[in-house]
Amino acid sequence: MARPIAADLFRRESGRLVAALVRLLGPARLSLAEDVVQDALVSALEAWRFDVPEDPRAWILKTAKNRAIDAIRRDRRLGPLPPELESSEKLSTSMDHALSDAEDAGNQLAMMLSCCHENLSSDTHVTLILRFLCGLGPREIARAYLVETDTIDRRLHRGRRELQSLGRLHDVRASSEVRARLPSVLEALYLLFNEGYQGSDADNPFCTAMCSEALRLTDLLLGSVVTSSPEVHALAALFCFDAARLATRTDALGVFVPLRMQDRTLWDGTLIARGIVHLGQSASGADLTRWHLEAGIACEHAIAPSLTETNWPRILKLYDELLALAPGPVVGLNRALATAEIHGPAAGREALLALEGDRRMTSYPFYWGALAEIARREGNAREAARFYGKAISVSRSRAERTAYERTLRSL
Amino acid sequence: MSKFMFVFRGGGFATAGVSPTELQAHLTKWRSWLDGLAKSGHSRDGGIPLQNPGKTLRGRQRTVTDGPFAESKDLITGSLIIEAASLDEAAGLARECPVFEYDGSVEVRPLLTLDA
Repeated sequence: MARPIAADLFRRESGRLVAALVRLLGPARLSLAEDVVQDALVSALEAWRFDVPEDPRAWILKTAKNRAIDAIRRDRRLGPLPPELESSEKLSTSMDHALSDAEDAGNQLAMMLSCCHENLSSDTHVTLILRFLCGLGPREIARAYLVETDTIDRRLHRGRRELQSLGRLHDVRASSEVRARLPSVLEALYLLFNEGYQGSDADNPFCTAMCSEALRLTDLLLGSVVTSSPEVHALAALFCFDAARLATRTDALGVFVPLRMQDRTLWDGTLIARGIVHLGQSASGADLTRWHLEAGIACEHAIAPSLTETNWPRILKLYDELLALAPGPVVGLNRALATAEIHGPAAGREALLALEGDRRMTSYPFYWGALAEIARREGNAREAARFYGKAISVSRSRAERTAYERTLRSL
Repeated sequence: MSKFMFVFRGGGFATAGVSPTELQAHLTKWRSWLDGLAKSGHSRDGGIPLQNPGKTLRGRQRTVTDGPFAESKDLITGSLIIEAASLDEAAGLARECPVFEYDGSVEVRPLLTLDA
């Protein structure tokens, strides 16, 4: 029986190697870096199908290095190399250094910071991160977002253009410009995590990967004094608490499970403990950011033994603060649900109906699901059925639709 | 039982277009198929992959050209010796080869042995 290959090996190595090569050779050689890494992976497939090497990662690295050196020698048209790479020996040594494990964090940080260019939208930042750091293909990214591949191709095109116009990647060593980028980076990581966690397509095979990648990249930020801060700890805490609960969000058939029915014993205790540590470290700063508030709310859910034993008053207070800082339909919705838990279904319904004017709300399945849930709790099956019907009509995926159909049938 | 050679042609990839995850999934299929053949006793050794490009010598002049290249549709990419009761059985075993997913082919050839 053959040696098993680590799951996601190719995807992870793709991210590592592209970041390493672009940081070393400069963003003008982005396409060369991508081609070289792709070639190395194709070679790995062609060779390893017959026999897997002792050290798969070293094999890919060596192949990528050799192809990179060949490609650079062949294509001087792209302009001069940085002077330190002009000689063959220097190129080879520099490459060994750039591709080493020790440089990995620095490479990926530089890539991540550079992807969050101010001329690009947040969605494009996330797309670039998914492509270059997480090793997802354009079709895979499109699927995660439930958009056409064309849209992703356009974002990648724009993103590549901006990246390639940079002389060098934004290195952590140039700290002033790095700090200015941080808000965009955190925003992108939040969107990335959310896409995996709340993403409407629970059938997407990359859901869990997107959450763990967001957490991994946040850990990278925490690993450098230049990019670490209490705010980043807050984001890490949020991701830990939410990721801890991923296992029970959907059932074996990929259908969403209501919080009240989730088996909390399956929540990841280690991740929750990590989250608590990060939450503690987030408290050392002077600023209270939206990440702090969201992390606080996620923490209350993660540590509560059951839905009824959840600290709803604290959650409501945090939502009030969050609404002031970062208003939005999802915040309003969840705040209304917290209101229902404390002041009863009628109060919850009132809070929800107050949001009806917002078009984003009325096209959001969870909004109608929340109204249905309240009606169900009051014993008003007919109202509940009506609202579940609406939720189903605006559902965006099988996971959502089936969840509501199921509850509808149980009324 | 007789011996046969599977000659794998094509099934290669354009440089762009196939994601790392898809490449690895395809690798897993190959490994599963080959492990299956080993487990069922049809193959003893791992197959032989061929790199490209190489060189081709041709004709009385022994003209040397570089190649064949990855783009060649019938590029031989590897071989495998298997044992089967008949050519039909061997061909049947070849049906499950993942090479077909990317437009490749399998040539199944009985080994010519010196046994009478």
